[in-house]
Amino acid sequence: MKRHLLAVLILLATLPSALAAGEGAPRPFERGSWQKLLHAHAGHPTLVHFWGVTCGPCKVELPQLGQFMKDHPGIDVVTISADLVPNLPDATRSMLDRAGLGSAENWIFDDGFAERLRFEIDPAWQGDIPRTMLIARDGTITTIEGSAEIADLNKWSDAQAATIR
Amino acid sequence: MSSASMSYRKPAALMVLATVMLAAVPNLAVAQMSHQHASEAACEETVLRCATKVTPAFGPDGTLWLTWMAGGQISVASSKDQGKSFSAPVQVTRDRLNLDWGPDARPKLAIDAKGEIAIAFSTFRDQAFNGQVLTTRSTDGGRSFDPPKPITVNNESQRFEVIGFDPAGTVFAAWLDKRNRVPAQQRGEKYDGAGLFFASSKDGGATYSDAQLAADNTCECCRLALAFDGAGHPVVVFRNIFEGGVRDHAIVTFSGLATPGDLHRVSRDDGQIAACPHHGPSLTISPEGTYHVTWYTNGKARKGLFYARSRDGGKTFSDPLAVGQPNRSPSRPQIAAGPQGLVMVWKEFDGQKTSINLMTSHDDGATWSKPSVIADTADSSDHPLLVSDRRQTYLSWMTKADGYHLQAIEGEP
Repeated sequence: MKRHLLAVLILLATLPSALAAGEGAPRPFERGSWQKLLHAHAGHPTLVHFWGVTCGPCKVELPQLGQFMKDHPGIDVVTISADLVPNLPDATRSMLDRAGLGSAENWIFDDGFAERLRFEIDPAWQGDIPRTMLIARDGTITTIEGSAEIADLNKWSDAQAATIR
Repeated sequence: MSSASMSYRKPAALMVLATVMLAAVPNLAVAQMSHQHASEAACEETVLRCATKVTPAFGPDGTLWLTWMAGGQISVASSKDQGKSFSAPVQVTRDRLNLDWGPDARPKLAIDAKGEIAIAFSTFRDQAFNGQVLTTRSTDGGRSFDPPKPITVNNESQRFEVIGFDPAGTVFAAWLDKRNRVPAQQRGEKYDGAGLFFASSKDGGATYSDAQLAADNTCECCRLALAFDGAGHPVVVFRNIFEGGVRDHAIVTFSGLATPGDLHRVSRDDGQIAACPHHGPSLTISPEGTYHVTWYTNGKARKGLFYARSRDGGKTFSDPLAVGQPNRSPSRPQIAAGPQGLVMVWKEFDGQKTSINLMTSHDDGATWSKPSVIADTADSSDHPLLVSDRRQTYLSWMTKADGYHLQAIEGEP
């Protein structure tokens, strides 16, 4: 019984930090995560944005995507930090928060062998970021390499809304 | 905190708590356990085995020197038996620095005809990933190094340095520098990319001349390639930003250490993408005086790895030759003119393993051998580099799973 009590005390002591680590922190993106992600969003128009904290053009685009998410509640917005060394969850999270993307579905590459993560997503992708993949309701994927034009995203989003009717 | 310790009878409130914990534990456990798995490094110490980036150079006496980044430090060691054994490492950095870990960053070393060693590397100096280029040198054959010093007094971001000794023993250095961004923005102008700056050192890398601009608005996130032509003039290849935001490769041949020549275009790939490829070029100059360049592009005109050569000092280049299998993510092409001809290596990935592929040319790049796989590894790895002594060219490759690898490239009959 004493042991049980101790276990509960340990649980109580660690619970807040465990919850804090889970809430808002980008999820680790590992082998198999891409298929899970596609499966989880099947049938929903989804925007998947690949970026990184050291990427110059990404810094400009990220707040625009934050605004896009606000303006398009019908689109699932997913971000994946695809920097090759994924050891900066704090910097990643703070940039996402500042861009208004804190509440998006956020992931961070979590494999030192980033090639195999990219290979699962697109074997031809060398790691250039930013990169945006627009996944339509029917699963059709449109890839935008480099910074996306918000006008193009709006157009795609409108087309997705139209397919509901 | 195993689930067994929770499998006992308890009031409902505690059961709820346990359920919440069970839900929270997997995330927490993943966060704690993933550190090693997510790292490119095999271990966290400063030894070679733990390095993520290793740069080689041969000294004039045939000694192989390596500099590497591991455990937050830059270290140096040498080998007199082609990489089979190494001297005790000498640490170049004192404090644990936030070293530039970008995919195209690495410590550089250059060795002069007397065996003196110059080193350069980049750090991230703040939370916004602004870089700083630091340099140091050894005047006692690599036994000790001066405290690293900034290459320039300017405090704007600097990254992607290259260094080399010219035939007269002067160190030439070039790097990407954001100093022109602030004045441009103050004038209300948009500033793209970074400036290609350069300096030189007549004291073996102890002090450098004032930084000068060679070309402004170049792509800010790719490494540079440096070689010296037959007259000992520096030649630099870099990803430029051409009219309309096109990020294609350009080349500048200096007419002196302080005099950049005209900028010429290596290829029209139409890389009109505002993105960071983190994937710079490679350059070598053969005894015939021919420039040989390999590069990666994701342009509209072509995508993948390419090779081209110039026989007029970089003014015009041959039609780009595609390198590697497009469905195997070919990457990180390196080219070197060695004692046995031209050697080109690059990485391919088949979904499980990274392989190093080789092509050679014995007619100054006019024709190339069929590609062959010369090494592979099943985990992350550094770029494949090429290094030559007087007799032959070697593949120098750091891998997480299999450690450091120096392999003689056999000449073809």
